[in-house]
Amino acid sequence: MIPTLHTKRLTLRAPALRDFDAYATFRASDRASFVGGPNSRSEAWHQFCALLGQWPLRGYGRWIIADTETDAALGTTGLFHPEGWPECEIAWSLFAEGEGRGIAFEAATAARAYAYETLGWSSVISCVAPDNARSIALAQRLGCQFEAPFEHTEYGRLDIWRHPSAEEVTQ
Amino acid sequence: MISLTGCPVLETERLTLRAPEAADFPHLAPFVMSDRARFVGGGADKDITHAWRVHAILTGHWALRGAGVFVCVRKDTGAPVGSMGPWYPEGWPEKELSWTVWDEAAEGQGFATEAMRRIRRYAYDDLGWTTAVSYIDAANARSIALAERLGCVLDGTAHGPHPDDLVYRHPSPSEVAQ
Repeated sequence: MIPTLHTKRLTLRAPALRDFDAYATFRASDRASFVGGPNSRSEAWHQFCALLGQWPLRGYGRWIIADTETDAALGTTGLFHPEGWPECEIAWSLFAEGEGRGIAFEAATAARAYAYETLGWSSVISCVAPDNARSIALAQRLGCQFEAPFEHTEYGRLDIWRHPSAEEVTQ
Repeated sequence: MISLTGCPVLETERLTLRAPEAADFPHLAPFVMSDRARFVGGGADKDITHAWRVHAILTGHWALRGAGVFVCVRKDTGAPVGSMGPWYPEGWPEKELSWTVWDEAAEGQGFATEAMRRIRRYAYDDLGWTTAVSYIDAANARSIALAERLGCVLDGTAHGPHPDDLVYRHPSPSEVAQ
């Protein structure tokens, strides 16, 4: 069972088939250009499968960010750790419906708290494309510091942003 | 530990059929990164990141569709020989029964035939499928031979997801039960 997290306005829950249309719409849009898109609906299906499939393979993964009141899917966030990644990262993608209300910050904060408090990790990163100004702004708002670039075989250059440690967050 | 729920374990004489697990990756990855996988989206030009994604996709399909491919494990050695079973991604015209033999050394011993006969019964009896197809690239002679061994016949009226696919239709539930 994939755990469910609650924040003030949001529910982070297991991705389900009913979320696929919202996910595929995001994947087909320019909003996905920093995460390997835009993608066809068929490519989006495989990406959505892989999003779910990481949970049993790693024991952690990414949630759908749902509006607690309506259950509408507003984005994804969580612990993304495919092969070829420098280490596990906190990833986030916001669908158009989720824009402009601090939702990614609220959701990513909950994902980080889960990594530190439930999984007991001491440190975590986020990987951001160097020209993704909005995500860089969010990383900075989360207290991340730029650490180093790395070169991914498919996505090209990504920058590693290091989050405040578990100790620093709880202070 | 997070685990897939509702995934049955099936048995044949020589094989245990179960959902994909993390420990399968060292067996799956070399197959995906070889030209033996060229008919199923892999190939010698693919890297480990692609192989990982394939592993996650096979696993996640179970969660989204309530069924998926089984990893077929040899009872005598404990080694996974391939992944086979229900496959129904977005854009597929019909529900498919798919197969891939990961380990070249396991070919030619009837493992895929043995597993597929059991999985086809599961699709009909437990999942309630009324028909099943397998989509096979016209150049994939080994898979065509397996389809024929399983009693499949070429269905010239149906279309596959890709232009070069042949559509092999499996014997119906009542034909299999006879």
